[in-house]
Amino acid sequence: MAVVFDEGAPTQSRSTFARIVNDETNRSVFYQIVVFGLIAWVAWYLFTNTAHNLETRGMSSGFGFLGSTAGFSIAWTVIPYEPTNSYGYVFLVGIVNTLVVSLTAIVFTTILGFFIGVFRLSRNWLVATLASWYVEIIRNTPLLLQILFWYTAVFSLLPRPKQSIEILGMFPLNNRGFYYPAPVPGDGFWMTMLAIVVGIVLAYVIAVRAKRKQIATGERSAVALPVLGAVIGLPVVVYLVTGQPLAWDQPELKGFNFVGGGSVPPAFCALFLALVIYHAAYIAENVRAGIMSVTKGQTEAAYSLGLRPSWTMRLVIIPQAMRAIIPPLISTWMTVVKNSSLAVAIGYPDVVAVFMQTSLNQSGHAIEIVAMVMLFYSVVSLTISAALNYYNKLIQLKER
Amino acid sequence: MATDNTQPGQDAAIVFEPKQSRSAPVASVGVIGWLRENLFYSWFSTIVTVVVAWGMFEGAAYLYDWGVTKAVFEAESRRQCLNTSPDGACWAGIIDWMNGFMYGRYPDEEQWRINLGGVLLIAWVLPFWLPNLKGKIGIGMSAVMVYPFLAAYLFLGGERGVFLNLMVFLAITLLVLNWVHVVLFYLTGRTLTENLVRMTGFEHRPETTHKYPMLALVAVVWGCVYAWLGDWQLELVRTNLWGGLFLTIVIAGVAIVSALPGGVALALARRSTMPVIRVFAITFIELFRSVPLITVLFMAVTMMPLFLPEDFQLNKLVQVMIGVCLFAAAYMAEVVRGGLQAIPNGQYEAAKAMGLSYWKMMNLVILPQALKLMIPNIVGNFMGLLKDTTLVSIIGLYDMLNMLKAVGQNPIWIGLHKEPLVFGAAIYFVLCFAMSKYSQRLERTIGQGNTGR
Repeated sequence: MAVVFDEGAPTQSRSTFARIVNDETNRSVFYQIVVFGLIAWVAWYLFTNTAHNLETRGMSSGFGFLGSTAGFSIAWTVIPYEPTNSYGYVFLVGIVNTLVVSLTAIVFTTILGFFIGVFRLSRNWLVATLASWYVEIIRNTPLLLQILFWYTAVFSLLPRPKQSIEILGMFPLNNRGFYYPAPVPGDGFWMTMLAIVVGIVLAYVIAVRAKRKQIATGERSAVALPVLGAVIGLPVVVYLVTGQPLAWDQPELKGFNFVGGGSVPPAFCALFLALVIYHAAYIAENVRAGIMSVTKGQTEAAYSLGLRPSWTMRLVIIPQAMRAIIPPLISTWMTVVKNSSLAVAIGYPDVVAVFMQTSLNQSGHAIEIVAMVMLFYSVVSLTISAALNYYNKLIQLKER
Repeated sequence: MATDNTQPGQDAAIVFEPKQSRSAPVASVGVIGWLRENLFYSWFSTIVTVVVAWGMFEGAAYLYDWGVTKAVFEAESRRQCLNTSPDGACWAGIIDWMNGFMYGRYPDEEQWRINLGGVLLIAWVLPFWLPNLKGKIGIGMSAVMVYPFLAAYLFLGGERGVFLNLMVFLAITLLVLNWVHVVLFYLTGRTLTENLVRMTGFEHRPETTHKYPMLALVAVVWGCVYAWLGDWQLELVRTNLWGGLFLTIVIAGVAIVSALPGGVALALARRSTMPVIRVFAITFIELFRSVPLITVLFMAVTMMPLFLPEDFQLNKLVQVMIGVCLFAAAYMAEVVRGGLQAIPNGQYEAAKAMGLSYWKMMNLVILPQALKLMIPNIVGNFMGLLKDTTLVSIIGLYDMLNMLKAVGQNPIWIGLHKEPLVFGAAIYFVLCFAMSKYSQRLERTIGQGNTGR
């Protein structure tokens, strides 16, 4: 039985045209030209429409409006703001407000998430069950609904300033917001600040030297105490020696409201709490998965080497779990920044609320404003993902 | 030798009688053992257990009190609720607004259309759960391709254009034929097409002609349906009256149905070797993934009117749907890409060695494996979409969340905020939880299929 390959084998018999059409490179170039042409045509179509629409509506385009006066007030800002400031400054105010709420939420949600993740793996059945209920309930309800719940059903219904709830006796909480004592640095406080910086540098040096010694000789030196001494002890000593140059501006009830200290509005509290609680559930799942990804053999190997359980955890399990935990953790941080934009639903003045809503409605420069806000979020997420890529490269397993 | 106890002659006389082994201590088996193992294994765990149990009991008791024993189920207004029981939930407001939560401001006398649409959808997808049925792909395709047109007409009503006429009657035709197929399959063990081929005597003709009897039947049934329902018309219900859970499901459904093909296309484009296509896909995916959905929605409602010609303006619902679909496709693309990356190179090489073209390789070899692998992530993505549809309330569509918010602004129920949100949370929870449990089951059954190879 002879097998005859008669189809397509002799290329010479095909026409030149067929050869050109069937060539993979030619085809690829052709497809790309088609796709590029299509995209260019769509872009041109949208552009001409937009130009025509702007013209008929008598609207100007360009970024010139950023210099003109905004004229509206913003309920709460981190950096000082007046209605006489420009739209460009409003953009900046919004960005700072967004970043402040996101960063505080990121810190607290990470801590809470780690605890809940560890609780889910607890040997205590009740604790593990409670933690898994938390994760299921929080993850299966929309974040926006949770934000609205905290805002309308909790923080808006708090008592008036006169009947404030005093948390720990020094943080009044009422329907105007959350108040805290603000630090007022005195004369010479810069020395304490300097001591903190020096302490951190010192701690870093101690840690690096201990690591080097361990790599060279295998001996582990006690670093906890010296590091604590450098980071906390040194600033405290300097602070006391320079005569405690830091006063606390305590919020006081004067008339109908609190005066002095710092404060955040109820919208901030609601957004912050909702972001922390919602994303902690996701972080908890990451942490759980990360710890479970370290196989049992690692623990057994560490025990058979004679490591104590606490050392096993700190030197064997956690470093390996971190490798699995950190990348999704960083993506969750990015999600926190993005989800903080839901602030617009409860009137917290973040970048979307003040710029994409109020400024857009007033000035009508839709394209420029949408582009600027999207650029801001893109820059944030590109920065974070660049950091993530760098970290991934750093921790990649050195495989033989 | 006399002192030696192990004399050979005595061996036979020793009978080994095993002592009944002692049962495990009461404290380590059964309920008590479980409690000691999981709740009271050290003094510290005992304290924790007691404290947590007490806290849970207090919390549950408070919730039960608030939600059941002290709750008011029948009242005219919130004032009356508060007068009856100030510390209890006012469920009367929820019951009063239930219709609004489900249908929004859709006219009462037309709501049967939404219910009918839901029933039709169930009728459409029900065959998927029937065991050993052939031709499920065709049923699925018909559900995705033509059901949306029928549903859109049911919900919207009004005049039908030529195209919509065609699609609506085609949808009815295919639904009928789907069920004829299912019944015939269980009666004869053959698919509808096979039966048709036998009956018309096409079995002796080449296989490529076997589709003609089926097409003829579709045409005939279509004609019958047209003759029967040709002048059937529904009253127009504008989309600004759509709302409630109905609107939520419509938006999420459109996003889910469009996300998968869009995501697959983008993922393939991103892995393409052609630079123009790849760069375009990367830009699109990264742009939409790096910005929050709310900015995409704002873009859709503020910029789309500028982008389109003056005489062709879309209503808000369509604008929002386009925004959500683009967003969903970008996210789905990354999920699909993860699946594609998990397929070993040998699969690609084997498919190419078999002489399959690019699209055949993808459709027959790579994508089925990649999508199967990614089912949990895909369902997770769908859940995220369902939750994200709540954002349309910020744009001013009356989805379920906005209806829940509206209760507290209604003069009769003014200030009623907590109960609607708790109720809405429960509904979203049930929907999402059911989806995630179903995906876990799906994952298991598919996993079984793989190990049984």
